[in-house]
Amino acid sequence: MRVDIVDLEWQRRLALRALACALSELKCLAAETRLDRAMRRHALALKYGYDPAQPRVPRGEPEGGQWTETDANGNPLSKRPKNDRVRLAGDWPSNNPPEPLDDEPKNFAKEPATSAERTSVMKYIARRAVETGVSVAVIVGTARWLLLRQAEIVSYNDPPASLEDLRKAASTPASGYDIHHIVERTSAEEHGFAREAINHPINLVRIPRLKHQEINAWYQTKNAEYGGLSPREYLSGRSWGVREAVGLRALRIHGVLK
Amino acid sequence: MRRVNLSLLTVPELVERFTACGLDQFNAQWHGNIGKYNCLYDEAVRIKDELARRPGDERTALVPLFDHPNPQVRLNSAQWALAVAPVAARAALQILWDRKEFPQAAHARQSLMALDEGTSRLI
Repeated sequence: MRVDIVDLEWQRRLALRALACALSELKCLAAETRLDRAMRRHALALKYGYDPAQPRVPRGEPEGGQWTETDANGNPLSKRPKNDRVRLAGDWPSNNPPEPLDDEPKNFAKEPATSAERTSVMKYIARRAVETGVSVAVIVGTARWLLLRQAEIVSYNDPPASLEDLRKAASTPASGYDIHHIVERTSAEEHGFAREAINHPINLVRIPRLKHQEINAWYQTKNAEYGGLSPREYLSGRSWGVREAVGLRALRIHGVLK
Repeated sequence: MRRVNLSLLTVPELVERFTACGLDQFNAQWHGNIGKYNCLYDEAVRIKDELARRPGDERTALVPLFDHPNPQVRLNSAQWALAVAPVAARAALQILWDRKEFPQAAHARQSLMALDEGTSRLI
């Protein structure tokens, strides 16, 4: 009887020790995560010119604690300069503001609800980066949803490449890029073309993901040069050669192929 | 866009409606609504046909839209007035391509290539 009690007590202590170990590991992980987040915040702060010695509005003032500038004697001003507003994530740099069209977004901090809108915002940012000479990273700011998609935005501005290079790249997938079928896969399958031909390396190219989406949309939109049909409707019932010619033209007119 | 009897509209009213079509197409594309974009394409073609039907071919009324700030309005007007103002329309398409105003730039480039090859269906 006594042996059983000792055994049970021993098992209880072992279980408690295991729990303590697990708890300790969790605490360690939490501390690591906190440190990691602090390091990221610090890196971002440095990137945007954080200076711990920057003067602040003195305590007791209405804007006490806020960053400010100094007067001629080096004393902190009691108010922030009026034009020194808080820069929100995704705001444009004040020295080079672009002029968005009506209905185009001016602030990107909030993630759009639909995939199409997200794509439109990303393409808009990519284009603005070229037009204004401001880097994508600066335009994106700290908008988290865009930070995760920077590769897609940057690749959108890739210069046109040769067909050989695009085909060669298809064997090495990369972030921000898609493998694209020159002869559209789904439509070709529906019209009975062999899968071997559709998925043959000669029919595959690696292109920027946003260009891929743009080309897919182009295939579906009515087109004046195809008599008001969409390219997909125009290609219905046509030969492999015609499909390939349209596929190559799609790459050229979208600035992907030289 | 509400369907109306276009034959009852004046030329400025038709141009205004044509512009509204392009703006709505731009928005539809922005939001990924290709079905709506295609419906508006049909409406723009109806307006263009109505302008062409008027005495003296009033498609020339679309020429001022070559300078419109919206790229879709510029694309539509340049494509549908190509037959009556080929030089200016071609220049407008070229600007769309040079500025890389996608996705309209792709349609513009397609028309420019077709013009060079003599296969354009817009003339």
